[in-house]
Amino acid sequence: MRLARGVYEGPQSYGILRTATSIGGVHALLRALPGETYFPTLYGTHERTGTLAPVTLSPLRERAEDSMAPGNLVRDLSGVLRRHPRAETIVLVRSEASLLSGEKIQIDPLPERDARNPNLVTFPWESPSIKETEAAELTLEDLIRAHTQDARERSPYPTVNLFGPPIFGPGAAAEYAEAERLLDLIGVEVNARVPLGADTRDLGRLTRAWANLLLYREIGESATLYLQDGYGIPRVTTPMIGAAGTGAALRAIGELCHLDPKSVQRTIWAELARTAKLPWYARLEPPETFKNRKVAIFGDFTYPLGLGYALAREVGLDVITCGTYLTHLERDFLFHAHTFTEGAFVEDDPEAVAARIEAAKPDLIIGTRLEEGVADALEVPFLPLCPPTANRPFVERPLVGYAGSSVLADALDNVLRWKKPQPTGETGIQWSDEALQEVAGVPLFLRGRARRLAEDHARSLGSGEVTREIFLESRH
Amino acid sequence: MTILNESGIPDVLPPLHAVSGLARRLQDVLVVVVGTQAEAHLVQCLPAAPSPNLPPSGHEPHVTFAVLDPSAPPPQGLLASRIGESASGLRGTELVLLVAGRSVEALGVDAAFEVRLAARKLDLPAEVVNLDAPHEVPGTLSTDLEDGVVAALVNLCPKRRTSDLVQTASPAKRGRLFGGLLGRGREALEPGDARPVVLLGGALSPGAAQGLAAELTRAGVEVAGAVPADKTSELPPFGEGTVVAVMDPNLTAAAAAAERRGATVIKTLMPIGVDGTARFVQDVAEEAGYRTSEVVRARSAWEDLGALRNRIRGKRVFFAGDTGFEIPLARFLVDAGAVVLEVGAPRLDRRFLSAELQALGPDVDVVVSPDYRGQANRIDEARPDVVICSPGLHLPLVARGHLCRSPQDFLRAGLYGYAGARRILDLLASTLKRAETLDSLNL
Repeated sequence: MRLARGVYEGPQSYGILRTATSIGGVHALLRALPGETYFPTLYGTHERTGTLAPVTLSPLRERAEDSMAPGNLVRDLSGVLRRHPRAETIVLVRSEASLLSGEKIQIDPLPERDARNPNLVTFPWESPSIKETEAAELTLEDLIRAHTQDARERSPYPTVNLFGPPIFGPGAAAEYAEAERLLDLIGVEVNARVPLGADTRDLGRLTRAWANLLLYREIGESATLYLQDGYGIPRVTTPMIGAAGTGAALRAIGELCHLDPKSVQRTIWAELARTAKLPWYARLEPPETFKNRKVAIFGDFTYPLGLGYALAREVGLDVITCGTYLTHLERDFLFHAHTFTEGAFVEDDPEAVAARIEAAKPDLIIGTRLEEGVADALEVPFLPLCPPTANRPFVERPLVGYAGSSVLADALDNVLRWKKPQPTGETGIQWSDEALQEVAGVPLFLRGRARRLAEDHARSLGSGEVTREIFLESRH
Repeated sequence: MTILNESGIPDVLPPLHAVSGLARRLQDVLVVVVGTQAEAHLVQCLPAAPSPNLPPSGHEPHVTFAVLDPSAPPPQGLLASRIGESASGLRGTELVLLVAGRSVEALGVDAAFEVRLAARKLDLPAEVVNLDAPHEVPGTLSTDLEDGVVAALVNLCPKRRTSDLVQTASPAKRGRLFGGLLGRGREALEPGDARPVVLLGGALSPGAAQGLAAELTRAGVEVAGAVPADKTSELPPFGEGTVVAVMDPNLTAAAAAAERRGATVIKTLMPIGVDGTARFVQDVAEEAGYRTSEVVRARSAWEDLGALRNRIRGKRVFFAGDTGFEIPLARFLVDAGAVVLEVGAPRLDRRFLSAELQALGPDVDVVVSPDYRGQANRIDEARPDVVICSPGLHLPLVARGHLCRSPQDFLRAGLYGYAGARRILDLLASTLKRAETLDSLNL
């Protein structure tokens, strides 16, 4: 047990639902307490498509068999089959309360699948100890396994499968679109976008592709390994973030698809001249802008690694520390992060992450929504580029590919010009040493706020200095 | 009025979403949410004041999550020690509320024991709020956590001494100041007849209880306090003879807790809308030992609302049901001239809301446990002018061309009392007006 001010990942049921509802034709039957069903609400507000979430609740309640109200799983499943005749796959998802309650789930297999009967996919590995990302990854593999029985003949022309982020990922659809645009430029067609944008038929056609391109390794890792081992489809795992990463991934795809390397290189050069602005930014900005500027990066797996590499190598910033909250990918993450930073770490407690970042004394923090308070307390600029993020813009911008490198250049250009506000003589409030000692005792994510409240309180008292007493009073 | 049970799955925002809003309202309370990763993630994802187009609010310092590891449940007493550390790190904590659901029980953690231990260690009051407490009537409302928290606070109210019953000042003395200025046909009572009145509710509408207390004071009734109070130390004494006036239609557990403490819970209309407020004030006054008539006040309130009523007259409203506030709101809107097509009630306690149901117009259909997909289809067929629905239905319905408002918008605007009645109509009228303006654009 630990006390925390927040969590980076959701529970396993949330991860399963993110993957399952990304795929068209999949309907989820969620066994949960009514108070646990926040996924449909998030689906409505995040997706903004106007469609209802393809999720039906089977409420966990006492003596469900006593009435005809929902709660009996077998009956609820037949209700889903009746009400959603177009669903091609039904997945049974169990919430944490359902798993912990110890209820035994017994469902007869559905009749043999034909044009009218959907597949029923259950996840025997479900456990409350598994977290969102790992569950999302395993779900994708299971859904692909359930739909790829026979190896299809390879497509007559080069095609790849894109394995990207699931729904709710920041700019998820834009990431796929940018990767598809670049593949199209080098003459490779996208066979399927997985999981977001695919439907169940696409899952059955995955084995046609010549290669798999992993945009988001967290979710696609085991599915692409399965396709590699079972069907001999090679994969490209280089994060397509920054101009160098994107170029490397495109060259690797070109090689796997037997394209003319010169033609691929010409396309890359054209894009570097037209779309990719990060190399321009790095060359145009005077070296002093980046000198001794330390960056702390924290997030999932692909984004911190891709961003860390791009910022260290392409921009020349000092990546002082780089971490992930995905503890199950610890070895992989540390292996890759050590190529550009000495301060690689794995941690899923926001307090400990805040302490790590504070100790590194960065000039810029790139992180998730939970690091925003840390940047505020340290009074350094912040870029929320790693999921989970809080912002949901109407216009999604990619972070992968050459267009993504330009988005990154813009973001850096904005924050690196930022200067720490210096208190002027008139409004500046001094702090006594005792008060500063008290501030140091406040948790980091609350410190910025505590400092501002104390200064406001000192001003309201007409004092030019925050003393220990004023600070303590302001906290009541 | 027809009541139909659809036995469906209503779209209700999980009650736990309200935890940050409650912690913000109760500034000297530390709220510890105990559970698995799921509970902490839910609170973090859903904003305290949900709106379909707002990002989740930031971290609330008075809320801490105790995330249990399902593979290694904590030993007895560990949770209490952690709560102790957390409370001592947060200055000004006067009360600890432990919010625990069914997962905690399944993991073998005795929340009641831990909270008692923490209370002893900290020398502070502490109480458990059971997130999945069974209600007499099945169903879940998005405001169930408010109900649980108010019930916990009722349990924490100091005991009212029996001697207070004797020492209660006469209404003639107390009502003198306002009585001279604002007396409206009150009749003087014999000294010693008056009983202390405590207001229950308004947890997420700051200032609501004060507004209603002022309304009661105008009628000559002195209000001893409100639950929740701004500070824990201001919780009013509770006991036999206390008259409890429930402001919110969802507070069934809190009302039951008040009754268990010997208080008299008044069964009347909620103070929502003009007639609701008038009946509420009148019945509270009567129970407390005063006699007053709100007829004149209600009539003038209706007259003041004339222009606004004209703007919503004949407008067709559909309540999908989420917070439990829908029935009093529908009652008022029908009185004000709107046509209410359906009122969804994810949970309907007919005994608790008997006065409200009696006052609801004859043409209103109440659907208990509505199925949200069925509702969406009925909304498509009926094409109401405005739909009041939960955030889960909001966007899908807007995408189908319906005009939607969240019931939480009404709560935040402050819907109590005569002033609240105006705010309700104002909110609806401005929503309709804006929709008309946008519809007139040639896109």
